[in-house]
Amino acid sequence: MNLLRYTGLIILLANLTGCTIEFLPETKKTEELLVVEGMVTDQNRINRIMLSKSVQTGQPFTSKPVKGARVTITDENGLVNDLTEFPEGTYNTDSTTFRGHVGGRYSLGIELNDTTYETDFIEMLPVPEIKSLYYEKTVIRAGRDSSELEEGCSIFLDSYDPSGKCLFFRWDYVETWEYVIPYAALNKTCWITENSDEVLIRNTSSFSQARVTKYPVLFISNKTDRLKETYSILVNQYSITETEYKFWEMVQNISQKVGSPYDITPSAIPSNIRCVTDPGETVLGYFSVSATTRKRLFIHELFMGQPNFFTYCATDTLSGELPQTGLNSEFWVIEDFSDEIPPFWVISTFRECADCTVRGTNIRPPFWDDK
Amino acid sequence: MRIRTIIFIVFILFSQKAHPQEEYVIDWNISGLSFEEFVLQVESRYPVKFFYEKEWVKNLTLGNYGNKSDLNGILQELLNPDSIYFYNGAAKGHIILTKYFAIKQRGEKADDNQSYIPEIDYNDESGESDKSRNILADIGNPADKGKPGSVTLTGYIVNQETREPVAGVTVYFPRISAGTISNSYGFYKINVPRGNYSVRFTFIGMKDKIIDINLYGSGELDIEMKSVLVPLKEAVISAEKDITLHRYETGVEKLNVSSLKLMTTSLGESDIVKSALLIPGVNSVGEGSAGFNVRGGSADQNLILLYGAPLYNSSHFFGFFSAINSDIIKDVTLYKGGIPAKYGGRLSSVLDIVPREGNRNEFKGNAGISPVTTHFVCEGPIIKDTLFYLITGRTTYSNWVLKLMESPGLANSRAYFNDLNMRLAYDINRNNKIDFSTYYSYDEFRLNSDTTYKYRNNIVSFRWRHNFSSRFLSALTLNNSSYRYDISSLRVPQESFILDHRINSSGARIDFNLFMGKNEFNFGTELIRYRVVPGNYLPAGDSSIVMPNSIQRQRGIEGAIYFDDKLTVNEFLSVNAGIRFSSYFALGPQTVMIYDPGSERSNATVTDTLTFGRGGIYKTYGGPELRLSVNFRLAKYSSIKLNYNHSFQYIHLLSNTTSISPTDTWKLSDYHMKPQAGDQLAAGYYAILNKNKIELSAEVYFKKMQNMVDFKGGTNLIMNQFIERDLINVYGKSYGFELLLKKPEGRIRWSVGYTYSRVFLRSKGSNDEELINSGNWFPASFDKPHDLVFSINCLYSRRVNLAANYTFSSGRPVTYPLSAYKIGNIVINHYSDRNEYRIPDYSRLDLSIRLNGTLKSKKIAHPYWIFSVYNVLGRSNVYSAFFRSVNNTVRGYYLSIFARPIPSISFNFDF
Repeated sequence: MNLLRYTGLIILLANLTGCTIEFLPETKKTEELLVVEGMVTDQNRINRIMLSKSVQTGQPFTSKPVKGARVTITDENGLVNDLTEFPEGTYNTDSTTFRGHVGGRYSLGIELNDTTYETDFIEMLPVPEIKSLYYEKTVIRAGRDSSELEEGCSIFLDSYDPSGKCLFFRWDYVETWEYVIPYAALNKTCWITENSDEVLIRNTSSFSQARVTKYPVLFISNKTDRLKETYSILVNQYSITETEYKFWEMVQNISQKVGSPYDITPSAIPSNIRCVTDPGETVLGYFSVSATTRKRLFIHELFMGQPNFFTYCATDTLSGELPQTGLNSEFWVIEDFSDEIPPFWVISTFRECADCTVRGTNIRPPFWDDK
Repeated sequence: MRIRTIIFIVFILFSQKAHPQEEYVIDWNISGLSFEEFVLQVESRYPVKFFYEKEWVKNLTLGNYGNKSDLNGILQELLNPDSIYFYNGAAKGHIILTKYFAIKQRGEKADDNQSYIPEIDYNDESGESDKSRNILADIGNPADKGKPGSVTLTGYIVNQETREPVAGVTVYFPRISAGTISNSYGFYKINVPRGNYSVRFTFIGMKDKIIDINLYGSGELDIEMKSVLVPLKEAVISAEKDITLHRYETGVEKLNVSSLKLMTTSLGESDIVKSALLIPGVNSVGEGSAGFNVRGGSADQNLILLYGAPLYNSSHFFGFFSAINSDIIKDVTLYKGGIPAKYGGRLSSVLDIVPREGNRNEFKGNAGISPVTTHFVCEGPIIKDTLFYLITGRTTYSNWVLKLMESPGLANSRAYFNDLNMRLAYDINRNNKIDFSTYYSYDEFRLNSDTTYKYRNNIVSFRWRHNFSSRFLSALTLNNSSYRYDISSLRVPQESFILDHRINSSGARIDFNLFMGKNEFNFGTELIRYRVVPGNYLPAGDSSIVMPNSIQRQRGIEGAIYFDDKLTVNEFLSVNAGIRFSSYFALGPQTVMIYDPGSERSNATVTDTLTFGRGGIYKTYGGPELRLSVNFRLAKYSSIKLNYNHSFQYIHLLSNTTSISPTDTWKLSDYHMKPQAGDQLAAGYYAILNKNKIELSAEVYFKKMQNMVDFKGGTNLIMNQFIERDLINVYGKSYGFELLLKKPEGRIRWSVGYTYSRVFLRSKGSNDEELINSGNWFPASFDKPHDLVFSINCLYSRRVNLAANYTFSSGRPVTYPLSAYKIGNIVINHYSDRNEYRIPDYSRLDLSIRLNGTLKSKKIAHPYWIFSVYNVLGRSNVYSAFFRSVNNTVRGYYLSIFARPIPSISFNFDF
């Protein structure tokens, strides 16, 4: 019942009279807790279990791998699969011998310095294909005339399981968008890829059909450059158990939809991994078992009111001889007018204005579709 | 002619030169005549006119008076045995009869030689108009004046203009420092030794009245009081300083409407709940939050009574405004300590809103606008003095607040609320009064034109007050109160739904109030039937695939009988002992799951399913609730009170958010959910300092609460079929010290309240998931140890009134995540012990100024302006802390709701 949260009110208050101020929480030093993350899917690929340590609030997330553990996945027939560690803290199944299948039941076991952790057996539920993935233009601001129009993009999906077995859906996505520097620069066109950081879930158990209609996957505002060139999104769909659904719902309520007068009283989110040797030890994270389907969407359409993110780039112009010292380390040529008379160059002290690989990669993704 | 008008007439008459008394001889046969026939004969022969109430004389027959032939002698012989007195010293030969007291001209000497108590200098008031002092009333039979012992003086006090009874008038005998206050019928009663006194009648916003009496025996003295300035709720901030000394209970605060009107609130709306927050011992989670907490109790432990019926949601617009239009309020009493046995059903407090009855004499009105709402009041008689009405309404007059914002998300949003109060009262006669009241409030909040939240309160109340005698009063109240909300989402036709929740209660109660000697007995009975629809989830439209779902309804009956006695043992000791037996019956039909008691409640641990038929009682709770107060009067100007209280609460508000919200659901006690129970022990010291100018009260309390409700982390409360599986049983204890210094009179009035209080909670359960903080004590979210409120009001001139108010309180506890982790890119905060940290302290200053229009009384409309600035210092007071991951790091953020000064103007006019 996410609709019951007053997201609108938060916006209202923030605009009207309120504000939010960042502060440095001075919390007591806490022990680092074991974090388990991983999923068994029905895909023909390596399944990974990642072990790490939690970080103190206010500290940046840095990789704190937990190495040297014995990680096993046991299936419904009692067959124990040992996972191999590579790189540190990441434990991999052997894709030639292990592959999850719908209806199978899997349990995770971890042995670490004489401490044993385990989960219950979790059944892999079937997942339907994503029926459709589509977008709609959204007016962010309609000005007095069309030149002031600002548009954003809402991406939705529909899904339907005729068998009615997939009641709890979860999605995540990978966005890729093309990025072009509007200067005659070194690396002009790149692609940026980002993973979703929002919890996307839907419970269809209160519906008469396992059907999801027009689920809002994300809204792209004109505060980013995603819509300037071609944009693409790949959505993964998972069929999760009711227990896992509750876990993600708690994550949503406690860690994501916060900052209003109606925040839910926060509490620890229980993991499905428990410590066998010391039941009092808190383990964080989730071991997930799910079938997977995916769908990709390209957006080529032109959106109005996309801002120019490069207005700050031109730092200076140079005429005469182009100096060599510092070029491409302290300043970069972003426009070359050496054929003009007199010749001059526009330079920038910002590398990202001349080299798109600062933010992305200049290797064209294999799936990329230029229309 | 009514006895209530007599004293008024006496004023007029005395202001003229009194005629010399003449001797009228009765020289014809009067034997066997009725008094009325006698009067007609006398009036036809002599230039006299009698004024009296027919009721008094209907049984009188004239006899044979032998040697007596003068009118005075005959009247005396005839009337005095019935405690009827006459006065014929007035102008134009008027002869005025009075019952229970006699009128004498000031020129006649009071019986000062007969006073049994030495005269002391009590009169430190000066400037009292002589006019109101030239009445001397004899009460009782002068023949009894030598008798020892105390006698009882009773009477009714009414507003001269509106004829409404005036509750809360201090009746004070300065010479012996004795006093009492009038009850809600305007009735007062006091026990004093025989003697001669000056009795002072004082009330906020009314002209003081001093009446000299020779008290020979028990009798009645009815008083009319006159409002100061404009009659329409135009009282000034003051308080009944004697009341604090004379009330039996500790922790009783009376708020008055005019102080309310001047208080600055966030958006220019005067607000009863926000003013209650200024009382020591009352606080809330944060500004703009719905609900309030009294002495460490949760927000659902307050019984808000409007027209005698419970009000289930006291706020508009998510808690920013009170749902009660202050135009209807006569006064408000908050019982935070000694809750009288009459009230029950909530643990922490009773906020009794006494509505105005309406003007009985003439049509009056008031209308006004503030930045958010426009409101009006109309009141007046349909039949003068008998049938009268009061109608008030309030509505948001535009959506401008939302329109101001250029936010795309709010472009299609709208917020709207209104409320309406109507009251019709009929005084059948002096002993029978009925009134009928209704209240309706409505809120609508539409988000992005597809999700709509609607919620409404509805109250209907009927009351019949019957006086068996002036010492035996009763009131029958029938009411129905309901609250419902519905949420509908039409964003996607296939998933569109309507969700609603309802609570409905019907109540009937009879209260009796009997004065007998030194006792005032209050007793009565109350019956409430509750019906709760926890949730209905229905498809909206034909294409919706939402499956209709309903959570089984709850029904229950709460019954109570109570009895209490306010006993004035002597001048120095009074006791109020009461007991209330309450019980609750949970009624079927109901299906109840029984769980294995040793393990966590879940589908797997269900051991049995019980089904109860319609009307069957499936669970009963109840017990005695003891209420006890003792008042020791230490000296002339101070007293000590002790108080103990026990109460049960059978209905609960399920909330798992920081602040209660309009979409929280009500739940009745049932098979698994026990009633909440509370005990409070309080003691207080009260004194009047500095020649009656400053009141001091200091109270301490200790409180224990049981069976409060909390939830396992992240529980979804709405449409939860098996809420008992997610409940956590919580116990609470709170204690505190409250100090209040108040100067309620004069041109500059101020009050300072300081509270030190703590409230701790503790969960009880058999396994980890049912425990919060491993079962250790933790502070509640509204635990704010230090709280300081200072307010000052300066009546600069009759047209200008300045007020300021300063509030400081400790920051409330919040929960911090100690660490964080990631699953994929999703950052999850790991919260540890609840309420271990605190947000910064809260501090706010508000200013307001009220400008009255010209004071010309003949003007058609009397306008006034209120300019106010809320949070003058612009301090960004922190409401809550939350944590979010930005740039790969979990960062803390403080949320402020009113982070800058908020000016507002409201314009009102009386007509």
